[in-house]
Amino acid sequence: MTSQTLQKVDHAALKANQLFIISLSILAFILNQPWLAAFVALVMGLGSALKVPGFLPIYKNVLKPRGWMKPDVLDDNPEPHRFSQILGFVFMTAGSISLFVGATVLGWSLVWLVVALASLNAFGGFCVGCAVYYWLTRFNLPGFNKQPPAGTFPGMKPKARVSA
Amino acid sequence: MSDDFLLRFGLAIAIIVVGMLGYWLINQRLLVRARNNIFTLFSKLPNKPVIVYFTTPDCAPCKTLQRPALNQVSRLLGERLEVVEIDATERPDLAKKWGVMSVPTTFLLDARGEARYVNNGVARAEKLMEQLQTL
Repeated sequence: MTSQTLQKVDHAALKANQLFIISLSILAFILNQPWLAAFVALVMGLGSALKVPGFLPIYKNVLKPRGWMKPDVLDDNPEPHRFSQILGFVFMTAGSISLFVGATVLGWSLVWLVVALASLNAFGGFCVGCAVYYWLTRFNLPGFNKQPPAGTFPGMKPKARVSA
Repeated sequence: MSDDFLLRFGLAIAIIVVGMLGYWLINQRLLVRARNNIFTLFSKLPNKPVIVYFTTPDCAPCKTLQRPALNQVSRLLGERLEVVEIDATERPDLAKKWGVMSVPTTFLLDARGEARYVNNGVARAEKLMEQLQTL
């Protein structure tokens, strides 16, 4: 494994983002509101463009200051998490478009896929999008050049701070 | 409209229940692994309930939430409970054998060394006490 510089990544912010994606997507399904799914896709898209978790402002301005969520800062690569959000954005956008054109089964299936993957990350600590990113790194694809933090299984939440 | 709402609500609940069932099955698998690897921790069983606590030096929720919860439980039960703390960075072999996916993770073993509960993530003192009372 090559040496690499890791950055501070607040996993609590990532978790808050996932929890909002899960909650709003399930609400969109129950209320049968494709626009709500589209809103989630839009927030994820904006987050991807700005290279931050889409619902970061809520974490930063509401959840963290009130102590409802505590920062969980680890040395990690932010790139796989960004890639993961882009993947979620693509699936959510495809789902929303499907819903608006009347392909409801496909649309809601894609929305639930995003819910399932976000849940796996939020509750199980495994980021499928990150695992895909690290898998693509092995093929030397342009833009994919990060290795998992030392001692961490690709996609799993790092267990420890690696650098001093 | 109302029927549609109820149907969707029921469907959402069903999907969530299936997801939780999957999570429960994963936990059962972790308990089996813990049972099979109990002697990687003890050469002789302590004949009292044990909490095996996997942590790392830089795990923030471990310090702010899990450690205080374990201290509280230890104070309440004193000599009737043993807490074994394992630093997953120092003992990655143990973390792998026990199937630990994230920290904090706590396993609760009964007096016969049978792994009975696993908590992925922070387990509050109340939850640990509830689990310990059934051992």
